[in-house]
Amino acid sequence: MSGRRRTVIAVAAAVILVAPLAFLWQRSLLPSSMSAMDMGYVDAGGGAAMPAGHHHQERSVSDLAGPRNRPPDFRIELVARKERFDVPGVGQVDGFTLNHRSPGPEIRVREGQLVQVTLVNESVPDGATLHWHGVDLPNAEDGVAGVTQDAVRVGQRFEYRFVAEHPGTYWYHSHQVSHEQVKGGLLGPLVILPRTAGAETDTVALLHSYDKHRTVSGRNGEQHVTAPAGRTVRVRVINTDAGPVRAWVSGASYRIQSVDGRDVHEPGELRDTATLVTAGGRVDLLLTVPSNGAARVGLGGGGVSLVVGPEGTTAPADADPGPTVDLLGYGTPAPLGFDPARASRSFRYDIGRRPGFVAGQPGLFWTINGHLFPDMPMFTVTEGDVVRMTIKNHSGQVHPMHLHGHHVLVLSRNGTAATGSPWWTDSLNVADGESYEVAFVADNPGIWMDHCHNLPHAAQGLVAHLMYTGVSTPYRVGEDHDNEPE
Amino acid sequence: MRATYRVLAGLIALGVVAQAAFIAAAWFGVIKDIDDGAVLDKNYEGNLGHALHFIVGEGVIPLLALLLLIVSFFAKVPGGVKWALIVFGVVVLQIALAFLSFGVPGVGALHGINAIALLSVALVAARRAAAPAPASAAAGEPAAEATL
Repeated sequence: MSGRRRTVIAVAAAVILVAPLAFLWQRSLLPSSMSAMDMGYVDAGGGAAMPAGHHHQERSVSDLAGPRNRPPDFRIELVARKERFDVPGVGQVDGFTLNHRSPGPEIRVREGQLVQVTLVNESVPDGATLHWHGVDLPNAEDGVAGVTQDAVRVGQRFEYRFVAEHPGTYWYHSHQVSHEQVKGGLLGPLVILPRTAGAETDTVALLHSYDKHRTVSGRNGEQHVTAPAGRTVRVRVINTDAGPVRAWVSGASYRIQSVDGRDVHEPGELRDTATLVTAGGRVDLLLTVPSNGAARVGLGGGGVSLVVGPEGTTAPADADPGPTVDLLGYGTPAPLGFDPARASRSFRYDIGRRPGFVAGQPGLFWTINGHLFPDMPMFTVTEGDVVRMTIKNHSGQVHPMHLHGHHVLVLSRNGTAATGSPWWTDSLNVADGESYEVAFVADNPGIWMDHCHNLPHAAQGLVAHLMYTGVSTPYRVGEDHDNEPE
Repeated sequence: MRATYRVLAGLIALGVVAQAAFIAAAWFGVIKDIDDGAVLDKNYEGNLGHALHFIVGEGVIPLLALLLLIVSFFAKVPGGVKWALIVFGVVVLQIALAFLSFGVPGVGALHGINAIALLSVALVAARRAAAPAPASAAAGEPAAEATL
C-alpha cells in the first residue's frame, strides 16, 4: 500500500470515528433560552394534539392563579437565606433556611382557608421559588422556575395564594436549582387540617438528611411526642430525601390513615410490617399509645425515631421488621369518582438509561421513551380528559415519579390489578423492573412537571411535562433567564 | 506517532491502576462515614474517590481509548489497529458492565475482572509500539518519528 493511500484511509477512518460523536455532542448543547413548550415532541396519547399557539382560546400560565380578590385567611412571610446553621445531633451545616430555620416553619391551615405565603429572597444567590408538593393548586402558584414563574432573585419577593382544598400532609420546597436547594434544606411541612378536627394528637415527622445524617423535623436522634396512654396519635411522615425510607412501629399496631394527602378507605391494622415512604411522598400513621409505656416509630434507621407516649416513658427500638405493606391491596375499595376504563388519552412513560451526551457532557443518562433530555415527550391533554399512563422502569435504579398539580390513581403493578382502597398518589416509587399503570382526570389546566423526585436524577434530565392544549407559558428556562428548575 | 501510541496505551494502563486505587479508597471512606453516623441511602452521593472513579472511568479512559484508536490508523505499529480496537472494545465492555451492575450487582464482579483485562491489553498495545518497527515500515519513516 502506498504511503499516500494509507494516510487517506487513516484520515477517513478517523473522521468516521469522530464525526458521529461530534455530531451527537453538538446536538446535545442546550440553548441559553428554552421554553417548556419546545422541550421535546408532542405526545398526544391517541387524542387530538393542538399545541399552544394554535388554539382559539389561548391562556397563559400566569392567568391560572389563585384568588386575589379577597383577603387571605392565613398569611405567612418566609425569608430565604443561604447560611450556616446548627442541626442538633449533626453540627453546623452550610445550606438554606426559611426564617432562619431548616426545615422551615410548619404551615398548618384548615380546609377551605385562603392561604397567602410571601417568599422573600434575602440571600439565595441562584434565586429561589416555593413549590407546594402534592397540593393540586392553580398552575401559577406551582412555583416552578422557568415554567410557572421566574425565580425570585435576591431582594425580590413573590406572593403565592391558594385555597387549602384537600386535607392532608404536604410539604413545600424550592424548585429552582432544586437538587442543591432542597438538599440544603430550603423546604418545610404543610398540613391542611379537615374542617372538623379529630381528638387525636397530631404530629409531623419530616425526614431530611443534612450532611449525610438523617433527621426528623430538623434533629438527629430520638425524639419524644408526649401523649397519654390510650390516646390516638397521627404521625405525619414526610420524606423530603432523594430515596425511599421505610417506617415502622414497635410497641403498638398502626394503620396507614392516608397516603400523599388522600385518605385510605378502611385501612387495616398493621403489625411487624413496615411502610415504604416514597421520596417526596407522605404517609400518615395512626397509632394508639399502649397502656404499658410508649410506642416507637422507626424512621429508616440511622438512629432516627419517634417515641410516642407519656413523659418519661420509652419503647424498645425494634429493628426493621422486614415485610412491607403493599398499598395495592391495602384497605377496601371505594367509589373512584371517574371511570379509568373510559380513557381518552393513554401515554407511556418508559424510563431507561443509556450512554450519550446531555448539554455537551458525556455520560450515562436517563431516558424517557428512549429519548435523552431535552428531547422529551410533552404529554398533551385537554381539560376533562381521562388519562391513563403506564410508567415502566428498566433503568437499573428506583425512581420516585412525581406529577405536579394532580393525584394519580394506581390501577395495577406489573399487570396485577389494585384490589384495596383507591390508591391516590403524587409520588410513586417505581423500582427497577416495575411497571405501574395509573389514571387521572385532567382537571387542572396548566403546564405541569412530571419528573423524578430524586432531584439529582431530574438535574440529569429525567423530566417531562404534562401540557394542556391552549395553555402557554411566558417564562423560559436557561442561563439567559437564570431559571433552572431542576 | 509510535511514541504517541505507546504513551496513550500506557496512560490507559495507568488509568486502570488509578481506578482501582480510587474505588478502594472510596469504599473505605464510606465505612468511615458510617462509623461517624452517616446514613447510606439514595441521598448519599459518594465521596471524592467515587467522583474521581466516575470522571476517569466515563471521561478520561474512554477519551484515551478513542485517541489511541485514531492514532493507531497513522502509527504503523504492527497489529496496532487491532490492539487499539481491542482496548476500545474492552473499555466499552467495562462501561457496559458498570451500567448493568446497578441493576444486577453481581455483574460488578465482572467489572472488576474486566479491569484486569483492560490493564493487560493496554500493556500489550504499549509493548507493541515499544518493539522496533518491522524493516519495511521503518525504512519509509524518518528516524525521529520513533522517538517522538
